[in-house]
Amino acid sequence: MRDRHLKYLLVLPAVIVVFATAIWPLVESLRLSFYEGRLSRPAFPQSFLGVENYTWAFLEEPAFWNSVWVTATYTFWTVLLTTLLALGLALLLAPGGRLRVTVQSLLIIPFAMSPALIGVSFRFMFNPEFGLFDAFFGIVFPPLATISWLSDPTLAFWVCIMADVWGWIPFLTLVLIGGLASIPRDTIEAAQVDGASGWRVLKDVTLPQLVPVLAVVLILKAIFSLKTFDQVYMLTNGGPGTATQTLSHYVYFNGLKYSQIGYSAAVAWLMVIPMIFLTYAYAKFVFQKK
Amino acid sequence: MALTGKQKKQSWNALQIVLILIAAFIMLVPIVWIAMAAFKTHVDVYQLKLFFAPTLENFKTVFQAPYHLEQKLFNSTIVAFVTVVLAIPIATCAAYSFSRFTLRGQTVLLVMILATQFVPAVVIVLPFFVMFRDIGLLDTRLGLILVNLSIVMPFAIWMIKGFIDGIPMDTEEAALVDGSTRMQVIRNIVLPMAAPGIVTAAIFCFIIGWNEFLFALILTSKDAVTLPIGLALFKAEEGDLWNLLAAAGIIIMVPMFVLALIIQKHFVQGMTMGAVR
Repeated sequence: MRDRHLKYLLVLPAVIVVFATAIWPLVESLRLSFYEGRLSRPAFPQSFLGVENYTWAFLEEPAFWNSVWVTATYTFWTVLLTTLLALGLALLLAPGGRLRVTVQSLLIIPFAMSPALIGVSFRFMFNPEFGLFDAFFGIVFPPLATISWLSDPTLAFWVCIMADVWGWIPFLTLVLIGGLASIPRDTIEAAQVDGASGWRVLKDVTLPQLVPVLAVVLILKAIFSLKTFDQVYMLTNGGPGTATQTLSHYVYFNGLKYSQIGYSAAVAWLMVIPMIFLTYAYAKFVFQKK
Repeated sequence: MALTGKQKKQSWNALQIVLILIAAFIMLVPIVWIAMAAFKTHVDVYQLKLFFAPTLENFKTVFQAPYHLEQKLFNSTIVAFVTVVLAIPIATCAAYSFSRFTLRGQTVLLVMILATQFVPAVVIVLPFFVMFRDIGLLDTRLGLILVNLSIVMPFAIWMIKGFIDGIPMDTEEAALVDGSTRMQVIRNIVLPMAAPGIVTAAIFCFIIGWNEFLFALILTSKDAVTLPIGLALFKAEEGDLWNLLAAAGIIIMVPMFVLALIIQKHFVQGMTMGAVR
Protein backbone atom coordinates (compact mmCIF):
# COMPACT_ATOMS: atom_id res chain seq x y z
CA MET A 1 0.00 0.00 0.00
CA ARG A 2 1.18 3.51 -0.75
CA ASP A 3 2.28 5.68 2.15
CA ARG A 4 -0.21 8.41 1.42
CA HIS A 5 -3.06 6.06 2.19
CA LEU A 6 -1.28 4.06 4.83
CA LYS A 7 -0.47 7.08 6.98
CA TYR A 8 -4.17 7.82 7.43
CA LEU A 9 -5.04 4.17 7.95
CA LEU A 10 -2.48 3.97 10.78
CA VAL A 11 -4.02 6.84 12.75
CA LEU A 12 -7.61 5.83 12.03
CA PRO A 13 -8.11 3.35 14.91
CA ALA A 14 -6.63 5.80 17.40
CA VAL A 15 -8.78 8.63 16.12
CA ILE A 16 -11.86 6.42 16.37
CA VAL A 17 -11.04 5.45 19.96
CA VAL A 18 -10.37 9.05 20.99
CA PHE A 19 -13.59 10.21 19.36
CA ALA A 20 -15.68 7.43 20.90
CA THR A 21 -14.24 7.61 24.39
CA ALA A 22 -13.49 11.30 24.83
CA ILE A 23 -14.99 13.55 22.17
CA TRP A 24 -18.39 11.86 22.09
CA PRO A 25 -18.95 12.07 25.87
CA LEU A 26 -17.80 15.68 25.82
CA VAL A 27 -20.39 16.58 23.18
CA GLU A 28 -23.07 14.36 24.71
CA SER A 29 -22.50 16.01 28.11
CA LEU A 30 -23.04 19.38 26.46
CA ARG A 31 -26.29 18.13 24.92
CA LEU A 32 -27.51 16.66 28.22
CA SER A 33 -26.73 19.94 29.96
CA PHE A 34 -29.66 21.55 28.10
CA TYR A 35 -32.14 18.94 29.29
CA GLU A 36 -33.97 18.01 32.41
CA GLY A 37 -32.29 14.68 33.05
CA ARG A 38 -33.52 12.80 36.07
CA LEU A 39 -32.40 9.20 36.05
CA SER A 40 -35.27 8.15 38.28
CA ARG A 41 -37.82 8.67 35.49
CA PRO A 42 -38.24 6.13 32.68
CA ALA A 43 -37.91 8.40 29.63
CA PHE A 44 -34.45 9.93 29.50
CA PRO A 45 -33.64 12.71 29.07
CA GLN A 46 -36.82 14.62 29.76
CA SER A 47 -37.87 18.09 28.63
CA PHE A 48 -35.56 20.53 26.87
CA LEU A 49 -34.63 23.32 29.24
CA GLY A 50 -32.31 25.49 27.20
CA VAL A 51 -29.83 27.22 29.47
CA GLU A 52 -31.98 26.78 32.56
CA ASN A 53 -29.55 24.31 34.16
CA TYR A 54 -26.82 26.91 33.84
CA THR A 55 -28.90 29.79 35.17
CA TRP A 56 -30.02 27.54 38.00
CA ALA A 57 -26.40 26.93 38.98
CA PHE A 58 -25.58 30.63 38.77
CA LEU A 59 -28.64 32.04 40.47
CA GLU A 60 -30.22 29.46 42.72
CA GLU A 61 -27.42 27.32 44.04
CA PRO A 62 -25.15 28.70 46.76
CA ALA A 63 -23.61 25.21 46.89
CA PHE A 64 -22.38 25.66 43.32
CA TRP A 65 -20.68 28.93 44.14
CA ASN A 66 -19.26 27.35 47.26
CA SER A 67 -17.59 24.63 45.21
CA VAL A 68 -16.37 27.19 42.68
CA TRP A 69 -14.73 29.06 45.53
CA VAL A 70 -13.31 25.88 47.08
CA THR A 71 -11.92 24.76 43.73
CA ALA A 72 -10.46 28.18 42.93
CA THR A 73 -8.71 28.62 46.28
CA TYR A 74 -7.65 24.98 46.27
CA THR A 75 -6.14 25.39 42.82
CA PHE A 76 -4.43 28.65 43.75
CA TRP A 77 -2.76 27.28 46.87
CA THR A 78 -1.84 23.87 45.51
CA VAL A 79 -0.32 25.35 42.35
CA LEU A 80 1.60 27.98 44.28
CA LEU A 81 2.86 25.73 47.06
CA THR A 82 3.65 22.73 44.90
CA THR A 83 5.54 24.78 42.35
CA LEU A 84 7.57 26.72 44.92
CA LEU A 85 8.44 23.69 47.01
CA ALA A 86 9.20 21.57 43.95
CA LEU A 87 11.44 24.33 42.60
CA GLY A 88 13.29 24.50 45.90
CA LEU A 89 13.73 20.76 46.03
CA ALA A 90 14.79 20.60 42.40
CA LEU A 91 17.48 23.24 43.01
CA LEU A 92 18.67 21.28 46.04
CA LEU A 93 18.80 17.98 44.18
CA ALA A 94 20.05 19.13 40.78
CA PRO A 95 23.80 19.17 41.55
CA GLY A 96 23.88 15.37 41.67
CA GLY A 97 26.05 13.15 43.85
CA ARG A 98 25.11 9.98 45.64
CA LEU A 99 22.69 11.29 48.28
CA ARG A 100 20.89 13.55 45.82
CA VAL A 101 20.50 10.86 43.18
CA THR A 102 19.17 8.41 45.78
CA VAL A 103 16.58 10.93 46.98
CA GLN A 104 15.71 11.64 43.35
CA SER A 105 14.93 8.00 42.70
CA LEU A 106 12.82 7.87 45.86
CA LEU A 107 10.68 10.67 44.44
CA ILE A 108 9.11 8.34 41.93
CA ILE A 109 7.46 6.36 44.72
CA PRO A 110 4.86 8.87 46.00
CA PHE A 111 3.90 9.62 42.44
CA ALA A 112 2.98 6.02 41.71
CA MET A 113 0.70 6.05 44.73
CA SER A 114 -2.95 6.25 43.82
CA PRO A 115 -4.51 9.60 44.81
CA ALA A 116 -7.32 7.74 46.56
CA LEU A 117 -4.75 6.04 48.74
CA ILE A 118 -3.05 9.35 49.48
CA GLY A 119 -6.42 10.49 50.78
CA VAL A 120 -6.71 7.43 53.00
CA SER A 121 -3.17 7.83 54.24
CA PHE A 122 -3.70 11.46 55.24
CA ARG A 123 -7.02 10.71 56.89
CA PHE A 124 -5.19 8.12 58.92
CA MET A 125 -2.44 10.54 59.94
CA PHE A 126 -4.91 13.23 60.94
CA ASN A 127 -7.12 11.01 63.00
CA PRO A 128 -7.79 12.90 66.23
CA GLU A 129 -7.28 9.88 68.52
CA PHE A 130 -4.27 8.06 67.14
CA GLY A 131 -3.09 10.06 64.13
CA LEU A 132 0.62 10.61 63.64
CA PHE A 133 0.21 14.30 62.92
CA ASP A 134 -1.84 14.91 65.99
CA ALA A 135 0.78 13.27 68.12
CA PHE A 136 3.51 15.25 66.41
CA PHE A 137 1.81 18.60 66.91
CA GLY A 138 0.89 17.58 70.42
CA ILE A 139 4.56 17.25 71.26
CA VAL A 140 5.72 20.37 69.41
CA PHE A 141 2.86 22.59 70.50
CA PRO A 142 0.59 20.96 73.11
CA PRO A 143 -2.53 23.14 72.60
CA LEU A 144 -2.79 21.69 69.09
CA ALA A 145 -3.03 18.13 70.37
CA THR A 146 -6.74 18.30 71.04
CA ILE A 147 -7.67 19.76 67.66
CA SER A 148 -9.78 17.56 65.46
CA TRP A 149 -8.29 18.58 62.12
CA LEU A 150 -10.81 17.06 59.78
CA SER A 151 -13.90 18.34 61.59
CA ASP A 152 -12.83 21.96 61.30
CA PRO A 153 -13.76 23.49 57.90
CA THR A 154 -10.61 25.58 57.50
CA LEU A 155 -8.21 22.96 58.81
CA ALA A 156 -9.81 20.22 56.73
CA PHE A 157 -9.31 22.39 53.66
CA TRP A 158 -5.64 22.78 54.51
CA VAL A 159 -5.21 19.08 55.15
CA CYS A 160 -6.57 18.48 51.63
CA ILE A 161 -4.04 20.97 50.29
CA MET A 162 -1.26 19.30 52.23
CA ALA A 163 -2.17 15.90 50.82
CA ASP A 164 -2.31 17.29 47.30
CA VAL A 165 0.99 19.13 47.59
CA TRP A 166 2.62 16.05 49.09
CA GLY A 167 1.41 13.92 46.21
CA TRP A 168 2.51 16.30 43.46
CA ILE A 169 5.87 17.65 44.66
CA PRO A 170 7.81 14.56 43.60
CA PHE A 171 6.65 14.61 40.01
CA LEU A 172 7.02 18.35 39.54
CA THR A 173 10.46 18.18 41.14
CA LEU A 174 11.53 15.54 38.62
CA VAL A 175 10.23 17.70 35.77
CA LEU A 176 12.08 20.74 37.07
CA ILE A 177 15.30 18.76 37.57
CA GLY A 178 14.95 17.80 33.92
CA GLY A 179 14.47 21.45 33.05
CA LEU A 180 17.50 22.51 35.09
CA ALA A 181 19.62 19.85 33.40
CA SER A 182 18.77 21.24 29.99
CA ILE A 183 20.08 24.71 30.83
CA PRO A 184 23.49 25.11 29.14
CA ARG A 185 26.24 24.88 31.78
CA ASP A 186 28.38 27.58 30.18
CA THR A 187 25.88 30.38 30.86
CA ILE A 188 25.98 29.57 34.56
CA GLU A 189 29.75 29.10 34.61
CA ALA A 190 30.27 32.39 32.80
CA ALA A 191 28.27 34.20 35.45
CA GLN A 192 30.21 32.47 38.22
CA VAL A 193 33.53 33.40 36.63
CA ASP A 194 32.34 37.00 36.53
CA GLY A 195 32.01 36.75 40.30
CA ALA A 196 28.24 36.68 40.59
CA SER A 197 26.96 35.33 43.91
CA GLY A 198 25.00 32.07 44.04
CA TRP A 199 21.79 34.00 44.53
CA ARG A 200 22.49 36.31 41.58
CA VAL A 201 23.27 33.35 39.32
CA LEU A 202 19.99 31.76 40.32
CA LYS A 203 17.93 34.91 39.89
CA ASP A 204 19.47 36.31 36.72
CA VAL A 205 20.71 33.25 34.84
CA THR A 206 19.06 30.02 35.97
CA LEU A 207 15.46 31.06 36.64
CA PRO A 208 14.92 33.08 33.46
CA GLN A 209 16.02 30.08 31.41
CA LEU A 210 13.72 27.84 33.42
CA VAL A 211 10.64 29.94 32.64
CA PRO A 212 9.29 27.75 29.79
CA VAL A 213 9.51 24.62 31.96
CA LEU A 214 8.00 26.45 34.94
CA ALA A 215 5.11 27.54 32.74
CA VAL A 216 4.43 23.97 31.66
CA VAL A 217 4.57 22.83 35.28
CA LEU A 218 2.18 25.57 36.40
CA ILE A 219 -0.37 24.84 33.68
CA LEU A 220 -0.23 21.10 34.16
CA LYS A 221 -0.65 21.40 37.91
CA ALA A 222 -3.50 23.90 37.51
CA ILE A 223 -5.34 21.50 35.20
CA PHE A 224 -5.03 18.60 37.62
CA SER A 225 -5.90 20.78 40.62
CA LEU A 226 -9.10 21.97 38.94
CA LYS A 227 -10.12 18.36 38.37
CA THR A 228 -9.33 17.17 41.90
CA PHE A 229 -11.62 14.46 43.14
CA ASP A 230 -9.99 11.24 44.35
CA GLN A 231 -8.07 12.46 47.39
CA VAL A 232 -10.79 14.79 48.54
CA TYR A 233 -13.38 12.03 48.23
CA MET A 234 -11.31 9.69 50.39
CA LEU A 235 -9.97 12.29 52.79
CA THR A 236 -12.98 14.42 53.70
CA ASN A 237 -15.69 13.45 51.20
CA GLY A 238 -16.25 17.17 50.69
CA GLY A 239 -16.82 17.81 54.35
CA PRO A 240 -17.20 18.91 56.99
CA GLY A 241 -20.44 20.17 55.44
CA THR A 242 -19.29 21.39 52.06
CA ALA A 243 -16.05 22.99 53.22
CA THR A 244 -13.88 20.90 50.88
CA GLN A 245 -16.39 20.18 48.14
CA THR A 246 -14.55 20.70 44.86
CA LEU A 247 -16.45 21.10 41.60
CA SER A 248 -15.79 17.50 40.58
CA HIS A 249 -17.19 16.35 43.89
CA TYR A 250 -20.21 18.62 43.50
CA VAL A 251 -20.91 17.17 40.05
CA TYR A 252 -20.50 13.66 41.39
CA PHE A 253 -22.96 14.28 44.20
CA ASN A 254 -25.64 15.92 42.11
CA GLY A 255 -25.28 13.48 39.27
CA LEU A 256 -25.06 10.23 41.13
CA LYS A 257 -26.57 10.81 44.53
CA TYR A 258 -29.47 12.94 43.38
CA SER A 259 -29.42 11.60 39.81
CA GLN A 260 -29.74 15.04 38.24
CA ILE A 261 -27.74 14.21 35.14
CA GLY A 262 -28.71 17.30 33.15
CA TYR A 263 -27.78 19.73 35.90
CA SER A 264 -24.53 17.86 36.63
CA ALA A 265 -23.62 17.94 32.97
CA ALA A 266 -24.11 21.71 32.95
CA VAL A 267 -21.82 22.21 35.94
CA ALA A 268 -19.32 19.73 34.49
CA TRP A 269 -19.26 21.77 31.30
CA LEU A 270 -18.60 24.93 33.27
CA MET A 271 -15.45 23.12 34.42
CA VAL A 272 -14.44 22.51 30.81
CA ILE A 273 -14.23 26.23 30.04
CA PRO A 274 -11.12 27.05 32.12
CA MET A 275 -9.63 23.80 30.82
CA ILE A 276 -9.91 25.06 27.25
CA PHE A 277 -7.79 28.11 28.07
CA LEU A 278 -5.25 26.11 30.01
CA THR A 279 -5.00 23.47 27.31
CA TYR A 280 -4.54 26.17 24.68
CA ALA A 281 -1.70 27.66 26.71
CA TYR A 282 -0.16 24.24 27.28
CA ALA A 283 -0.37 23.27 23.61
CA LYS A 284 1.29 26.55 22.66
CA PHE A 285 4.26 25.72 24.84
CA VAL A 286 4.47 22.15 23.59
CA PHE A 287 4.42 23.09 19.92
CA GLN A 288 6.62 26.13 20.38
CA LYS A 289 9.39 23.82 21.53
CA LYS A 290 9.33 21.76 18.38
CA MET B 1 32.72 35.68 64.87
CA ALA B 2 32.86 36.23 61.15
CA LEU B 3 32.79 33.20 58.91
CA THR B 4 35.39 32.87 56.21
CA GLY B 5 34.26 32.15 52.67
CA LYS B 6 35.17 28.51 53.00
CA GLN B 7 33.29 28.10 56.29
CA LYS B 8 30.26 29.78 54.76
CA LYS B 9 30.33 27.36 51.87
CA GLN B 10 30.68 24.39 54.18
CA SER B 11 27.78 25.38 56.40
CA TRP B 12 25.65 26.08 53.34
CA ASN B 13 26.41 22.57 52.08
CA ALA B 14 25.55 21.08 55.45
CA LEU B 15 22.27 23.00 55.49
CA GLN B 16 21.46 21.64 52.02
CA ILE B 17 22.05 18.08 53.18
CA VAL B 18 19.78 18.64 56.17
CA LEU B 19 17.04 20.10 53.96
CA ILE B 20 17.31 17.18 51.53
CA LEU B 21 17.04 14.68 54.37
CA ILE B 22 14.00 16.49 55.78
CA ALA B 23 12.36 16.44 52.36
CA ALA B 24 13.07 12.72 51.95
CA PHE B 25 11.66 12.10 55.42
CA ILE B 26 8.45 14.01 54.66
CA MET B 27 8.11 12.13 51.38
CA LEU B 28 8.37 8.76 53.05
CA VAL B 29 6.48 9.26 56.31
CA PRO B 30 2.92 8.83 55.01
CA ILE B 31 3.95 5.70 53.11
CA VAL B 32 5.92 4.17 55.95
CA TRP B 33 3.19 4.98 58.44
CA ILE B 34 0.50 3.23 56.43
CA ALA B 35 2.87 0.35 55.67
CA MET B 36 3.46 -0.10 59.38
CA ALA B 37 -0.25 -0.07 60.12
CA ALA B 38 -0.68 -2.94 57.69
CA PHE B 39 1.42 -5.14 59.94
CA LYS B 40 -0.16 -4.06 63.20
CA THR B 41 -2.92 -5.77 65.09
CA HIS B 42 -6.23 -4.03 65.51
CA VAL B 43 -5.22 -2.94 69.00
CA ASP B 44 -1.77 -1.66 68.05
CA VAL B 45 -3.15 0.56 65.28
CA TYR B 46 -4.91 2.64 67.87
CA GLN B 47 -1.66 3.37 69.64
CA LEU B 48 1.26 5.34 68.30
CA LYS B 49 3.75 2.53 68.50
CA LEU B 50 6.93 2.52 66.53
CA PHE B 51 7.84 -0.92 67.83
CA PHE B 52 5.28 -3.65 67.80
CA ALA B 53 4.97 -7.36 67.09
CA PRO B 54 4.33 -7.50 63.33
CA THR B 55 1.55 -9.73 62.08
CA LEU B 56 0.45 -10.93 58.65
CA GLU B 57 -3.08 -11.44 59.93
CA ASN B 58 -4.44 -8.34 58.11
CA PHE B 59 -3.29 -9.66 54.76
CA LYS B 60 -5.19 -12.88 55.45
CA THR B 61 -8.32 -11.13 56.66
CA VAL B 62 -8.70 -8.91 53.60
CA PHE B 63 -8.85 -11.96 51.35
CA GLN B 64 -11.59 -13.59 53.42
CA ALA B 65 -15.32 -13.03 53.69
CA PRO B 66 -16.85 -10.48 53.77
CA TYR B 67 -14.06 -8.50 52.06
CA HIS B 68 -12.78 -10.88 49.36
CA LEU B 69 -10.18 -8.47 48.12
CA GLU B 70 -8.97 -11.10 45.62
CA GLN B 71 -12.02 -10.32 43.47
CA LYS B 72 -11.05 -6.66 43.37
CA LEU B 73 -7.45 -7.58 42.73
CA PHE B 74 -8.58 -9.73 39.81
CA ASN B 75 -10.81 -6.96 38.43
CA SER B 76 -8.06 -4.34 38.72
CA THR B 77 -5.54 -6.59 37.00
CA ILE B 78 -7.88 -7.52 34.15
CA VAL B 79 -9.11 -3.96 33.61
CA ALA B 80 -5.65 -2.39 33.64
CA PHE B 81 -4.13 -5.19 31.55
CA VAL B 82 -6.79 -5.32 28.83
CA THR B 83 -6.84 -1.51 28.62
CA VAL B 84 -3.11 -1.57 27.94
CA VAL B 85 -3.33 -4.46 25.45
CA LEU B 86 -5.97 -2.56 23.47
CA ALA B 87 -4.40 0.87 23.73
CA ILE B 88 -0.73 0.22 23.03
CA PRO B 89 -0.89 -1.31 19.50
CA ILE B 90 -3.43 1.30 18.37
CA ALA B 91 -1.38 4.09 19.90
CA THR B 92 1.87 2.77 18.41
CA CYS B 93 0.46 2.79 14.86
CA ALA B 94 -0.85 6.31 15.29
CA ALA B 95 2.36 7.50 16.95
CA TYR B 96 4.46 6.15 14.07
CA SER B 97 2.30 7.88 11.51
CA PHE B 98 2.31 11.18 13.40
CA SER B 99 6.05 10.97 13.84
CA ARG B 100 7.08 10.04 10.28
CA PHE B 101 4.47 11.53 7.97
CA THR B 102 2.79 14.86 7.47
CA LEU B 103 -0.95 14.37 7.72
CA ARG B 104 -3.64 16.80 6.80
CA GLY B 105 -4.87 18.41 10.00
CA GLN B 106 -2.04 16.81 11.97
CA THR B 107 -1.54 19.66 14.44
CA VAL B 108 -5.26 19.95 15.09
CA LEU B 109 -5.50 16.20 15.68
CA LEU B 110 -2.51 16.12 18.00
CA VAL B 111 -3.73 19.07 20.03
CA MET B 112 -7.17 17.50 20.24
CA ILE B 113 -5.73 14.23 21.49
CA LEU B 114 -3.65 16.15 24.01
CA ALA B 115 -6.68 18.15 25.10
CA THR B 116 -8.83 15.11 25.81
CA GLN B 117 -6.33 14.28 28.54
CA PHE B 118 -7.35 17.43 30.35
CA VAL B 119 -11.11 17.00 30.20
CA PRO B 120 -12.46 16.48 33.74
CA ALA B 121 -13.33 12.82 34.30
CA VAL B 122 -16.81 13.76 35.54
CA VAL B 123 -17.62 15.16 32.10
CA ILE B 124 -16.60 11.91 30.41
CA VAL B 125 -18.35 9.64 32.85
CA LEU B 126 -21.87 11.13 32.85
CA PRO B 127 -22.87 10.10 29.29
CA PHE B 128 -21.19 6.72 29.74
CA PHE B 129 -23.14 6.16 32.92
CA VAL B 130 -26.41 6.82 31.11
CA MET B 131 -25.44 4.71 28.10
CA PHE B 132 -24.10 1.79 30.15
CA ARG B 133 -27.28 1.80 32.21
CA ASP B 134 -29.33 1.41 29.04
CA ILE B 135 -27.23 -1.30 27.41
CA GLY B 136 -26.34 -3.21 30.55
CA LEU B 137 -22.63 -2.39 30.77
CA LEU B 138 -22.83 -0.88 34.25
CA ASP B 139 -20.74 -2.80 36.76
CA THR B 140 -18.87 -4.73 34.08
CA ARG B 141 -15.14 -4.92 33.48
CA LEU B 142 -15.71 -4.34 29.76
CA GLY B 143 -17.45 -1.03 30.44
CA LEU B 144 -14.64 0.11 32.68
CA ILE B 145 -12.01 -0.88 30.10
CA LEU B 146 -13.76 1.15 27.38
CA VAL B 147 -13.95 4.27 29.53
CA ASN B 148 -10.36 3.86 30.74
CA LEU B 149 -9.25 4.05 27.12
CA SER B 150 -10.26 7.71 27.19
CA ILE B 151 -7.48 8.59 29.65
CA VAL B 152 -4.91 6.06 28.51
CA MET B 153 -4.96 6.64 24.73
CA PRO B 154 -3.77 10.26 24.64
CA PHE B 155 -0.91 9.46 27.03
CA ALA B 156 0.14 6.44 25.02
CA ILE B 157 0.03 8.23 21.66
CA TRP B 158 2.05 11.22 22.81
CA MET B 159 4.52 9.19 24.78
CA ILE B 160 5.25 6.66 22.04
CA LYS B 161 5.43 9.45 19.46
CA GLY B 162 8.09 11.08 21.60
CA PHE B 163 10.14 7.91 21.60
CA ILE B 164 9.77 7.31 17.85
CA ASP B 165 10.71 10.95 17.18
CA GLY B 166 14.00 10.15 18.88
CA ILE B 167 14.85 7.27 16.54
CA PRO B 168 16.91 8.36 13.52
CA MET B 169 15.25 7.72 10.17
CA ASP B 170 18.34 6.56 8.21
CA THR B 171 17.91 2.82 8.80
CA GLU B 172 14.27 2.98 7.80
CA GLU B 173 15.06 4.91 4.63
CA ALA B 174 17.84 2.49 3.67
CA ALA B 175 15.47 -0.47 4.11
CA LEU B 176 12.82 1.25 2.00
CA VAL B 177 15.33 1.86 -0.77
CA ASP B 178 16.29 -1.82 -0.59
CA GLY B 179 12.70 -2.71 -1.40
CA SER B 180 11.12 -3.36 2.02
CA THR B 181 7.50 -2.33 2.36
CA ARG B 182 6.48 0.22 4.93
CA MET B 183 4.85 -2.44 7.09
CA GLN B 184 8.04 -4.53 7.03
CA VAL B 185 10.01 -1.47 8.06
CA ILE B 186 7.68 -0.86 10.96
CA ARG B 187 7.78 -4.48 12.09
CA ASN B 188 11.48 -5.21 11.61
CA ILE B 189 13.13 -1.89 12.32
CA VAL B 190 10.90 0.53 14.17
CA LEU B 191 9.26 -1.83 16.64
CA PRO B 192 12.52 -3.34 17.96
CA MET B 193 14.11 0.10 18.27
CA ALA B 194 11.08 1.66 19.93
CA ALA B 195 10.49 -1.35 22.19
CA PRO B 196 11.87 0.22 25.38
CA GLY B 197 9.67 3.27 24.81
CA ILE B 198 6.62 1.16 24.07
CA VAL B 199 7.17 -0.93 27.19
CA THR B 200 7.54 2.27 29.22
CA ALA B 201 4.28 3.60 27.81
CA ALA B 202 2.56 0.27 28.51
CA ILE B 203 3.71 0.22 32.15
CA PHE B 204 2.74 3.85 32.51
CA CYS B 205 -0.75 3.18 31.19
CA PHE B 206 -1.05 0.15 33.43
CA ILE B 207 -0.34 2.35 36.47
CA ILE B 208 -2.94 4.89 35.32
CA GLY B 209 -5.54 2.18 34.80
CA TRP B 210 -4.73 0.51 38.10
CA ASN B 211 -4.99 3.75 40.11
CA GLU B 212 -8.04 5.07 38.26
CA PHE B 213 -10.73 5.98 40.77
CA LEU B 214 -13.62 8.14 39.58
CA PHE B 215 -14.77 5.96 36.67
CA ALA B 216 -14.73 2.84 38.79
CA LEU B 217 -16.52 4.63 41.62
CA ILE B 218 -19.38 5.66 39.37
CA LEU B 219 -19.58 2.77 36.92
CA THR B 220 -19.12 -0.21 39.24
CA SER B 221 -21.03 -1.31 42.28
CA LYS B 222 -20.46 -4.99 43.03
CA ASP B 223 -19.07 -7.35 40.41
CA ALA B 224 -16.52 -5.14 38.66
CA VAL B 225 -15.29 -3.16 41.67
CA THR B 226 -11.55 -2.42 41.48
CA LEU B 227 -9.00 -2.17 44.27
CA PRO B 228 -9.10 1.60 44.94
CA ILE B 229 -12.89 1.45 45.28
CA GLY B 230 -12.51 -1.68 47.38
CA LEU B 231 -10.94 0.51 50.06
CA ALA B 232 -14.44 1.64 50.94
CA LEU B 233 -15.14 -1.90 52.16
CA PHE B 234 -13.20 -1.21 55.29
CA LYS B 235 -15.38 1.60 56.50
CA ALA B 236 -17.34 -0.10 59.23
CA GLU B 237 -20.09 1.27 61.41
CA GLU B 238 -17.73 1.48 64.36
CA GLY B 239 -15.25 3.51 62.26
CA ASP B 240 -12.56 2.74 59.74
CA LEU B 241 -10.75 -0.57 60.07
CA TRP B 242 -7.36 1.04 59.68
CA ASN B 243 -5.22 -2.08 59.84
CA LEU B 244 -7.22 -3.68 57.01
CA LEU B 245 -7.32 -0.42 55.03
CA ALA B 246 -3.56 -0.24 55.33
CA ALA B 247 -3.10 -3.85 54.22
CA ALA B 248 -5.30 -3.22 51.18
CA GLY B 249 -3.31 -0.04 50.58
CA ILE B 250 -0.06 -2.02 50.52
CA ILE B 251 -1.56 -4.44 48.02
CA ILE B 252 -2.54 -1.49 45.81
CA MET B 253 0.69 0.45 45.99
CA VAL B 254 3.56 -2.02 46.14
CA PRO B 255 3.12 -3.43 42.61
CA MET B 256 2.92 0.13 41.26
CA PHE B 257 6.09 1.15 43.10
CA VAL B 258 7.90 -1.73 41.47
CA LEU B 259 6.59 -0.79 38.02
CA ALA B 260 7.37 2.89 38.58
CA LEU B 261 10.96 2.11 39.53
CA ILE B 262 11.37 0.11 36.31
CA ILE B 263 10.36 3.04 34.12
CA GLN B 264 11.59 5.91 36.25
CA LYS B 265 14.13 7.08 33.68
CA HIS B 266 11.38 7.87 31.17
CA PHE B 267 8.72 8.84 33.65
CA VAL B 268 8.98 12.61 33.38
CA GLN B 269 9.10 12.64 29.61
CA GLY B 270 5.98 10.53 29.48
CA MET B 271 3.95 12.59 31.87
CA THR B 272 4.63 15.90 30.21
CA MET B 273 4.16 14.41 26.77
CA GLY B 274 7.50 15.66 25.63
CA ALA B 275 6.90 19.24 26.72
CA VAL B 276 9.96 19.05 28.94
CA ARG B 277 13.08 17.27 27.85
